Amino acid sequence: MTDRRFLFVIDTAPYGHWKGREILDMAFSAAAFDQPAALLFTHAGVNWLRSGQLPDAVQQKSVSKNLSAAMLFGLEAIYVCQESLDHFGIGKPDPGLELVVLASTSDLEARFTDVVRL
Amino acid sequence: MDSPPPQSFALVITGAPYSSQAPQTALNFAEAAIRAGHKVNQVFLYGDGVHLASNFASPPSDESDWPALWRVFIESHQIPATCCVASALRRGLLDETESRRYEKTGANVTAPYAIAGLGEWLESTLNSSRTLYFNPDH
Repeated sequence: MTDRRFLFVIDTAPYGHWKGREILDMAFSAAAFDQPAALLFTHAGVNWLRSGQLPDAVQQKSVSKNLSAAMLFGLEAIYVCQESLDHFGIGKPDPGLELVVLASTSDLEARFTDVVRL
Repeated sequence: MDSPPPQSFALVITGAPYSSQAPQTALNFAEAAIRAGHKVNQVFLYGDGVHLASNFASPPSDESDWPALWRVFIESHQIPATCCVASALRRGLLDETESRRYEKTGANVTAPYAIAGLGEWLESTLNSSRTLYFNPDH
């Protein structure tokens, strides 16, 4: 068995699609079993990081609350693509999250054995 | 040409049959892998992929019956197959136990599929050389 390192990639907006939540569940599960795991928000996925979300208005549960549990679960880092933040006009992402903003995400995947996209 | 050393694979399917090609692509891969001497350690159905486990799927007789084809494949190679419990319950995929627990009128998941949590996905990933994800785009 080789040592694994997991990168979970969220690339869809939080309330139009369920798969981001499913990736997050996988990430939390890996971290809960003491596996090195990190999240990457890119493309429309950066909308997860907006502050002041009002999910009640669309009868959904907040994803911010889930996400703020990330560090408690022991995720190593939450990476964000700067270009995607710019594209969606998110100047100041949720200040409650410890984010690592990357100018380029191209080198990131090479640092993980398992890159998970759904 | 030397053949590559045998690998072991865990397969995760997140696309449903008849709305995506993911189950078909995954089956083709699994058959080719085994033919080439590799091993498939586990099939994990996640998200919409759980629909593949339904015993109630009844496609027209001139179309491929992906749930049936997968079941035969899993049984003939004795591959452990799991439906994620959280995905399955939300989508109405229930075995006898869950059906009784939630007081529903039927159960559409039977052996070879077991209903279990993400721990199965992680364990099979850690015990395989690679995990492949078959998404609705595949």
